[in-house]
Amino acid sequence: MTLVRVAPHLEQDVDLSKTYDAVVVGSGAAGGMAAHVLTTRGLKVLMLEAGKKLPIEQELRSMQWPYDHPRRGDAPPGYHSLSFNEYTIRTPPYAKNSTAKHVMSYVGGWGGSDYVKNILVDEKDHPYTGTKYAWVRARALGGKTNIWGRLALRLSDYDFKAKTHDGYGDDWPISYADLQPYYDKVDLYLGISGVKENLPHLPDSLFQRPNKLTSSEVKLREGLKKMGRVLTPYRAGVTTDGLKHNRYRSKCYGRGACDRRPGGCDIHAAFDSPTGLIYPAMDTGNLTVRPNSIAHEVLVDKNTGRARGVAFLDSATRKSYEAKAKVVIVAASTLESARLLLLSRSPQHPNGIGNSSGHVGHNFCEHVMGPGVTGLVKDLVGKPSTLDDGRPGGFYIPRFRNLKDRQPGFVRGYGFEGGGGFSIFPGNAFGTPGFGAQFKREVRDHAGAFIGMGGFGEVLSRYENYVDLDPDTKDAWGIPTLRFHYQFGDNERKMCEDMVVAGREMLEAAGIEVIGTDEKMLTEGWSIHELGTARMGSDPKTSVLNQFQQSHDVKNLFVVDGSSHVSASCQNPTWTIMALAWRSCEYLADEFKKGNV
Amino acid sequence: MTDATHPEGESLSRREMLEVTAAALAAPLVKLGPAAAPPALQAVSKFFTAAELALLDELAELIIPADAHSPGARAAGVAAYIDFRLSDSAEPEQQTKWRSGLAAVEALSKELNNGQAFLQASADQRVAVLTRMAAGEHDPKTPAEHFFQDLKGWTVRAYYTSKVGIHADQEYKGNVYQRGDYAGFDAT
Repeated sequence: MTLVRVAPHLEQDVDLSKTYDAVVVGSGAAGGMAAHVLTTRGLKVLMLEAGKKLPIEQELRSMQWPYDHPRRGDAPPGYHSLSFNEYTIRTPPYAKNSTAKHVMSYVGGWGGSDYVKNILVDEKDHPYTGTKYAWVRARALGGKTNIWGRLALRLSDYDFKAKTHDGYGDDWPISYADLQPYYDKVDLYLGISGVKENLPHLPDSLFQRPNKLTSSEVKLREGLKKMGRVLTPYRAGVTTDGLKHNRYRSKCYGRGACDRRPGGCDIHAAFDSPTGLIYPAMDTGNLTVRPNSIAHEVLVDKNTGRARGVAFLDSATRKSYEAKAKVVIVAASTLESARLLLLSRSPQHPNGIGNSSGHVGHNFCEHVMGPGVTGLVKDLVGKPSTLDDGRPGGFYIPRFRNLKDRQPGFVRGYGFEGGGGFSIFPGNAFGTPGFGAQFKREVRDHAGAFIGMGGFGEVLSRYENYVDLDPDTKDAWGIPTLRFHYQFGDNERKMCEDMVVAGREMLEAAGIEVIGTDEKMLTEGWSIHELGTARMGSDPKTSVLNQFQQSHDVKNLFVVDGSSHVSASCQNPTWTIMALAWRSCEYLADEFKKGNV
Repeated sequence: MTDATHPEGESLSRREMLEVTAAALAAPLVKLGPAAAPPALQAVSKFFTAAELALLDELAELIIPADAHSPGARAAGVAAYIDFRLSDSAEPEQQTKWRSGLAAVEALSKELNNGQAFLQASADQRVAVLTRMAAGEHDPKTPAEHFFQDLKGWTVRAYYTSKVGIHADQEYKGNVYQRGDYAGFDAT
């Protein structure tokens, strides 16, 4: 079922004999935004996506009841999803020697693996090596925006000027004032819901109507107020009031399917790149999309050293093609973009294109997660069921550490994501001991009385955390894979210990009984917020891109995804990725018209 | 897709309204009560023998029984669902585990109940067997204790994803279109 009236054209003729104004590699948040801005400015754009164009509404089936699915949402026999244990006791490539027909990342192990089995990559075809890393990849038009968590947050000058604040790392080459107009544009073009809180470290967006809170969340919000902390309704990249300018997306009807599976919204109230950005860009007549196109090299003009296009393989036929363009825009995701730059070696760029600094693949950072707390609100036990889950998320508690204070054990901060109330499946049934009538009653009486939250912390950007190309391992298409040299450090460990302490303290302050804590850090990569492998900066010796995500080395090469971020902050990155891409592509369009790129 | 509405419009299509209404109606329809016929026993087993399926059906009902509030695992078809999932499984070790688990229950019943098979034992004796199996829930040691974890885990999964579990027992209110204000409380 879908409220989307307009079926986008799926098949386009792709003319590879012509030279496009720009070729964009990748169709997620960053690539979609590049296509939107450049086509609006009149540039002729070719977008290459490695994955398929899926009939996404049929994949997501957001309102399907569990009992209307033969396996209650589970993927068919033969699919195996990696567990925390497997990520912990083994090293990549995780699918090596697996007897399963298909091996998926841990996201395939969430409830509803059948809905994402065609969106996530099969680890068997996409190996990587090195240190432990839970790398979640989506190869499909729209990439990970098809299944993202939708928490849409802004960064502030606590992030952009973090070095000035605490002395660690590097400042970004921009400040909040530079990006604010573009955050505003993203808010208005794509829709975001939330409540204004007037926090200097988590700037407000131009919000549509917010999600509501449940009883237990209100209780926690009131408790936190006394501590001077804030619990705000989940700031979601979801249009709750509708978007008059977009005919591919419905407004949010508060359907309870949101928390039932990894993201995904079959009426596209939640932002995804295809309906939010790509289809409208196609409607300008300036965008051509070629799915099933695996880019493996940015091509270079032998005389000038400038980018002249992109070499790619057709994923089905394995035939090689070249796409010619005046500007190359890489937006393949933080790690895939670094891989593509490193793969693009030429006499002019022996270490990979745009890599004269040697920083491509380095300064790799993200968010650490795992620690959290669960509480029981006693006065909700035995209360009748209420509609608590028709929401893209529950709540967010913004960072409170190292703003005015200085923590002894760590720099930077973390926020909490959480939620409380009834959902379609009473998760407490797994933890309730015993059996029989008493067990059944206890599950029922307690199902809506729990509240839980988990921290998302900034992982420091460090040069020594990096990826490079594995000289010996190739993917199913014969393309060298990434090798990880990446580990959390002492700052992350100390921060995670503090998450548990602070989480407990907050529940207790609200009069909520703490019934469980998670103390372990999840495997590197778990947050799916990898960032920083081609960072911006003003010094070409220590950075890959300038403040407009333009290569210091190659003026007609731009890298507009999360790889450009200088530090991870603790806020979820998607909205910042899109605001930055918008800003850079406006600059690019201006320079293009002037003949400067 | 032809009858869908204006993207930001307020009205739902007729087909969508029908689906929403059907979902709302599902709740009272499945409130069958404890006396309802046991679908698991009517179902043709796909993996288990008829005797194994009858044993599994009884075990599941003991874990989540019918009560005054809602039907139990039997009415929810829990045994038939587990039977289907095992018949459909690509992992033969899962099938072996369940078959030997049920055998361990029979062995325990005979040990505790003077050689009586589980389904021949009295109601109290059956509960005694399951109580022994559940004793090691947090640190299982015997085969029957290990099997209890799988048995309970899959009974929970199957029951709370069934129509009976979602609508009759949990009285779940979501997965519906909220056309006006969203349910819940404002952050004030």
